[in-house]
Amino acid sequence: MVREMLTGNASAAWGARLADVDYVPSFPITPQTEIIENISSWIRDREMNAKFVTMDSEHSMITAAGTAAATGARVFTATSSQGLLYGMEMLYTISGWRVPLVLVNVARAISSPITLEPDHNDILAARDSGWIQIHVENCQEALDAVLMGYKISEDERVFLPVIVNLDGFYLSFTREPVEIPDQKDVKKFLPPFNRENGYFRASKPVSRGAALLGGTGYSFFKYQMHLSACNAISVYKGVAKEFKAIFGREYDTVERYEMDDAEYVIVMSNSFATKGKAAVHIMREKGHKVGLLKLRLIRPFPADDIINELLNRKGVAIIDQNIAPGSGGILYNEVCGCLYHSKERPNILLSVIGGLGGKDISQAEFEHIIDTIKKYHNKKKVPIKPILLFTEEDMKVTNNIIDIAGI
Amino acid sequence: MDRAKIYKNVKDINEEEFVLPGTPLCAGCGGLLALRLAYKVLGQKVVILNAAGCFTLLSTYPYTPFRSSWLYTAMACGPAGAQGIRDALDILIEKGSIPKEENLKVVVLTGDGSAYDIGLQSTSGAIHRNLDFYYICYDNEAFGNTGFQMASSSPYGSRTGTTQPSDAYPMATEQQKKDLFEIWRAHKPPYMATVSPAHPVDLSAKFKKASEYKGPKLFITLAPCPTGWGYGASRSNRIAKLAVECGIWPLKEAIEGKLKHTYIPKFKPVEEYLSLQGRYDHLFKPVRNDFTIKKIQKGIDRYWAPFLKLTSCKR
Amino acid sequence: MIRVRFHGRGGQGIKTASRILGTAAFLEGYYVQDAPLYGAERRGAPITAFDRISKEPVLERGIITNPDIIAIGDETLLNDAAANVFQGIRKGGIFFVNTHYEASHILERYCLPECKVIVHDVTDITINTVGKASVSATLAACICRITGTAGKEALINAIKKELKSIELKDETIDKNIEAAILCYDKMSEVPIETYRFNPVSGPKIIAVKHYLPPKGVAVIYAKGNTKKRKTGNWRLFKPCINYERCVRCGICFVSCPDGCISLDTDNYPVIEYANCKGCLICYEECSAKAIETKREVRTW
Ligand code: SF4
Ligand code: SF4
Ligand code: SF4
Repeated sequence: MVREMLTGNASAAWGARLADVDYVPSFPITPQTEIIENISSWIRDREMNAKFVTMDSEHSMITAAGTAAATGARVFTATSSQGLLYGMEMLYTISGWRVPLVLVNVARAISSPITLEPDHNDILAARDSGWIQIHVENCQEALDAVLMGYKISEDERVFLPVIVNLDGFYLSFTREPVEIPDQKDVKKFLPPFNRENGYFRASKPVSRGAALLGGTGYSFFKYQMHLSACNAISVYKGVAKEFKAIFGREYDTVERYEMDDAEYVIVMSNSFATKGKAAVHIMREKGHKVGLLKLRLIRPFPADDIINELLNRKGVAIIDQNIAPGSGGILYNEVCGCLYHSKERPNILLSVIGGLGGKDISQAEFEHIIDTIKKYHNKKKVPIKPILLFTEEDMKVTNNIIDIAGI
Repeated sequence: MDRAKIYKNVKDINEEEFVLPGTPLCAGCGGLLALRLAYKVLGQKVVILNAAGCFTLLSTYPYTPFRSSWLYTAMACGPAGAQGIRDALDILIEKGSIPKEENLKVVVLTGDGSAYDIGLQSTSGAIHRNLDFYYICYDNEAFGNTGFQMASSSPYGSRTGTTQPSDAYPMATEQQKKDLFEIWRAHKPPYMATVSPAHPVDLSAKFKKASEYKGPKLFITLAPCPTGWGYGASRSNRIAKLAVECGIWPLKEAIEGKLKHTYIPKFKPVEEYLSLQGRYDHLFKPVRNDFTIKKIQKGIDRYWAPFLKLTSCKR
Repeated sequence: MIRVRFHGRGGQGIKTASRILGTAAFLEGYYVQDAPLYGAERRGAPITAFDRISKEPVLERGIITNPDIIAIGDETLLNDAAANVFQGIRKGGIFFVNTHYEASHILERYCLPECKVIVHDVTDITINTVGKASVSATLAACICRITGTAGKEALINAIKKELKSIELKDETIDKNIEAAILCYDKMSEVPIETYRFNPVSGPKIIAVKHYLPPKGVAVIYAKGNTKKRKTGNWRLFKPCINYERCVRCGICFVSCPDGCISLDTDNYPVIEYANCKGCLICYEECSAKAIETKREVRTW
């Protein structure tokens, strides 16, 4: 085991290297490029025994990843933003093939307007694609989630591909100390992929992806995908336990920060959760009983764990770093949905949209969120419309650029 | 698998069947015949990557006509899928994860809608990467699986669901057929050829020859399509032969970009070919459209003129 | 409401038949719904089409599982399990078959419930009058008459409209009308007891379990099992080899798209009729004229 300063991208690449992957199809897109540059160098320097290929698009890249997985190779690939959307058709196709692989998405907000920094409209656009989704907060978690991803994906109770989401810029280009596990420990944790049955072999032919008409069989196999994805919750927990036993780090489906006696809870995900934790810390110092619930596993949606954490709280704010125009925040709707049947659900569920296009969320804004929850505390009616974190100052800046653009 | 060393006549063709009967494809499908003949040379150690098209329906769960492996993928990415399988087999064999006896020939099967249009980028990429694979495009000259709409493979003067003849468009399809062969040839792949299901010996010989090359081996087969072209199913082979004899479907190959015609046609008037098909009816009835017919004929003449002077065309 | 379900083979004009019936009833002022259902199959395979004709707005959609009339455009479908032509057949319903057989023969042969079997050799009339075996207008005419949903004028207008829309030439349309009127006049109106929903026991909704692979994943492990589909049912004409004329050239063997011709140990071609689709390429390609064709008549 060594500790090194690594970017999120390098950490993800290390995850692939340690997982002893066989195959890495690629296509460059900012901010994912460092991942594929690292891996291709390692392969060219014979530090990694795998095949690397540059495809002609993300659509082709994801296809090659899926077909290689269907041939029994352990496959890693990575993309971002527009690339994920460009390959979207194949995300659905590959999960339907029921083949294991890990894809890292380096989150970046979606065009148009095109931008470079992250929000989660890219990754959440894939939320119904049948892929398992693990969202990470820091560089260490990026590496660890890749390793865990293979173990979950290759479990026959799941057999669905996994996306690990890490935020562009905030993690992709940010270095922090990361523990790189020993290869032999990783081997213990993640044995070679069992590729006995159902792969393309001369001796045992199979046909995969055949059309299925009439609805009945289609419903059955789609529902099997759902059940398999649901299985991924308990599989995830088992894998997390083994991971802790070997590497000492613990990753539950959700992470609880200052939750024990929290009356007010902020729900969020990914790298901005670090900012959220800092804000909670400061608010605690001021005497507010605030906690933070970080969502790590987003598909399958760990509803039971979320319900458990949110029951009997006075108020909860869900910060969505995404926007579904005409609906609001994606995670807000999902969290609300899972709480509906619980009598002890919080009085207030506040929808907040922030961090779009990587826009910062300040301490003052976090405090505003808690103040808003409190404001509604004794009110009968709480708005279900989202609040956008956008200040007077932000409006000034915006007016200014609109002026320059000319109306 | 194919016992023949060289293909001289029909008797040399492998009797073993690899695409079994009972598929849902149309009766008389010319593309299916080409696939069946090609498979006889390829043998059983094959995995097919089928891009969306008519042939998607070959395997409709729970049935498959194949004795070997098959994977259906989206319309844009047949060759990309082939890349993944080829690379996976190579690395798994190299690493010793699977024995080399398990190796397979990787074959992309696509219609022209995919090959000429939505899948062209993916094909270009695979040729550029020198992927060791076969590529078979069954060219029925339109989007057949969706009911026969115009594709860039649709010939000038033919009728499709989205290029119906009208007063403003008496020729129906106004664009010329895209020359996919030349686009491929610009990549200089080791082997590429056009074939026809009604020339089984030529077809078999070409697949055999292709097997000697590592890298992309690309085929476009004419795929007479009773459903889309509008003729009785029994005429598929007759029409395919006419396409060759009129010179509208040249049989050729190119090795590392070097072009050679494998058959010099008798140059029958193209009318003979056109008049048998419903998709050209509007050129003859209610009034004859001489302009368009002549233009088609001229296109053929112009295509052949330079080659007929060259000695490389052997009879 | 009258619910009509047509069965036929792709390319036979079944969809158009349903549209002619639909348009004719529409012209007579009914509320109408018509729709075809295509399977995976292409031309030659079984297809279905539906008509709902009602004096009230139609509050149903999709496939008809409880038809008042089942109209079989191609007798070979009766033997084709994949076509599922008997679904929802019931006492009092009408079962119309395009065939040269007697109604009693069909009743007995298929042990049908006490439904009204009506037969008519529509193909024969169509081939004789139009010269082709597309039964769209003629079949529609029979059903128009049996159901009493449209008079001759509406029928003729509907045929014109629908056949024009599939770009048939005027003379072909006229011949189709002629054949259709012949059929119309041969049939007579039959009182119809329409289907009433009468729940005996509702469907049982079950909780679907999770299955590990292989069962839970849609992978085909079988090889070449399309043979079980018996596409021989698609055939309208049957190729028959006259071995006395056959010169064993092997052309038919290399010309069959479906691989239904094999060579025996003496290199004579043998046709596998279970799946031969009857495209007749072999017949057309045999230069020794050793292959003959026969109109397919099922040996029930
Ligand atoms: S539409 Fe044409 S190409 Fe497609 S299956 Fe039918 S005959 Fe073959
Ligand atoms: S084509 Fe005719 S002559 Fe030749 S083998 Fe077939 S049946 Fe015999
Ligand atoms: S008719 Fe002849 S060519 Fe056509 S499927 Fe039957 S045997 Fe084959």
